[in-house]
Amino acid sequence: MRPGESAPRAVLACGEVRTCLLPARQALDSRAAAQLLGLRADERVLLSERPNLYGRSPDTLTGVDCPLPSANGSRVRAVGTVAARASLTEGRVLQSSAYFRVPAAGPDHRRPWGHYLVRPGVVEPLGRLPREAVAQGLLGGGRHGELDVGLIADGLLTRLLRHPLLDQRPPLKSRPTRLRWVALPADPGDGPSIERFTLAEDELRTLRLRVPEGVRSAEIAGLCDDLALHDWLLTTVVRILDGIRLGSAPPPARPRPPTGDGLPPVVRALRPAVDHLLHLWMPRARVAKELAPLWDALEERPGFTRQWQTLVQRIRDQLTLHAIPSPYREVEPVP
Amino acid sequence: MLVFAASDKGGTGRSVTSANLAYQRALTGDHVAYVDFDFGSPTAAAVFDVPGAMRGTEERGLHSYLEGDVTEPARIDVWRQTEHPLLRARPNQSGRLVLFPGDAGGGEFATGEDALERCVDLLLRLNGEFDLIVVDLSAGRSYAVDMVLAATAHPRMRYVPFRWLVFHRWTRQHVIAASGLVHKENGILRSGVDRGHDEETLQGSIRFVRAAVPDPESPLWAQGSPAQAAWMQSCDETLRRLAAEHRIGDSVVLGIVPLEPILQWREQLITEEDVLATQIANKETLEALEEIARRLTDESHWGRP
Repeated sequence: MRPGESAPRAVLACGEVRTCLLPARQALDSRAAAQLLGLRADERVLLSERPNLYGRSPDTLTGVDCPLPSANGSRVRAVGTVAARASLTEGRVLQSSAYFRVPAAGPDHRRPWGHYLVRPGVVEPLGRLPREAVAQGLLGGGRHGELDVGLIADGLLTRLLRHPLLDQRPPLKSRPTRLRWVALPADPGDGPSIERFTLAEDELRTLRLRVPEGVRSAEIAGLCDDLALHDWLLTTVVRILDGIRLGSAPPPARPRPPTGDGLPPVVRALRPAVDHLLHLWMPRARVAKELAPLWDALEERPGFTRQWQTLVQRIRDQLTLHAIPSPYREVEPVP
Repeated sequence: MLVFAASDKGGTGRSVTSANLAYQRALTGDHVAYVDFDFGSPTAAAVFDVPGAMRGTEERGLHSYLEGDVTEPARIDVWRQTEHPLLRARPNQSGRLVLFPGDAGGGEFATGEDALERCVDLLLRLNGEFDLIVVDLSAGRSYAVDMVLAATAHPRMRYVPFRWLVFHRWTRQHVIAASGLVHKENGILRSGVDRGHDEETLQGSIRFVRAAVPDPESPLWAQGSPAQAAWMQSCDETLRRLAAEHRIGDSVVLGIVPLEPILQWREQLITEEDVLATQIANKETLEALEEIARRLTDESHWGRP
């Protein structure tokens, strides 16, 4: 039985993605990635090498029975399972992603677990679902005790980060990000569209989508993973560039403490980006065909790839400048 | 880099000084986390002036995190959420300064394997994100001290560098107590070795900070009589000898923070403004804090003396 076939039609899908740098000195090769992502003995890790090195764990299921968050305070108890999986891109960026879908209505009483277990990744409301209020509630984040899909994603991430394969020596400082998403059905005949994409707090992004009927929630989650990965790359590289001090700027009021490896500070700051991040940019590598147009919208505005190319060019220019022997430089690039 | 701030007694200026060190490092461009493991008497909110942001974190603080009630501890962005008008204008090129508050009502609690694993998870995540992590520990041989000794000896933490600062005041009782905290039978060194630390390495990563030290040369005491001055000099001498006898002499002192009247009145961050514009704080205090902050990562001040 394929997932989804037994379940009633979903009218809402929701998920959260955590994205972080793998805390290991060396990127993992595919064999090590398979070991890290082997969450279940009975299912294999998906590995692929084209167009880039990528591994994805089998889905794990978490049973839930709790109220759904809702913007207007209406109390909707829901029962079912949340699917979660982890992925690793180029052995370097680790993501955990939890998601579920909700039908418009469910049975009035809780059924035996067998009913829910044959519907992996489906959470059924008891009674009718106030769809709009729940969609807003899910994006805004629930109160303590309400269904929090981010908790499930974080639990999986914590489990992976404890893996003995990781030496806990990340090559650069970076911040994990969270992307929380909801998807509602598009009007009949319409293609997929992004209703809103916000950078809410420092690390939280929220995304509200419309998708045509029939798109599987795993595929929506796949799109959101891809988006989260590239958003994380942009965020991380922007911060690396933010942190460098250029030689032409006036010296800071307080000089930085010495570090002692002899490299100019700019080179020391930029090098990990070259070693570990610049080759990871590959939007749409694994996005389902019917969702690919969503990327086009983002390329138009705000222009993800455009910004990325500017950042990459800036890093290369800085490194080139530092490769010029100092007598020929007009400005000393060392602070 | 992890920096653990410890003291044997309360009232040593441990929290306020370590918060000032965190602030100074953030000013130089480091991303700094300040982790309040002072279970029972959290003061960080007052020092960073974030009382408003603390509301709503009562049940999401570090205590709840370690007990497993929440999966991520609350964090407060100091530059953005402080009510201190000078701090709100985050200086250009400064790094992030993030406070991880304790819970309002959380006292000491029983140690356990799960709490230790979660502590390791937290410290590793912070280490991946921040350049410097200052961990303020409850006074004395507390549960917090045991937990971080066990955490830093954990195999997952083997590549994470850490250092200890032991704060004490410049009096006979405080000198003896600070030495005891490190060197006594159940002190940091012995407990650390019991948990798997190498004694020599651990000892090389512990330094002392003398806080609220009256400087006999300071203008503060200029009004005193010659007899008072002579008495202070001789006290200072005696204390130096006592410290050396107790193995906390000058060679293992990272820095000395002079007695600062405004810190006696109010736990707060000392800004350049306090020294230059309003002149309520002494220049020497700010310089001492800047210097200790610099030495935190200056290798020449660390290792076996």
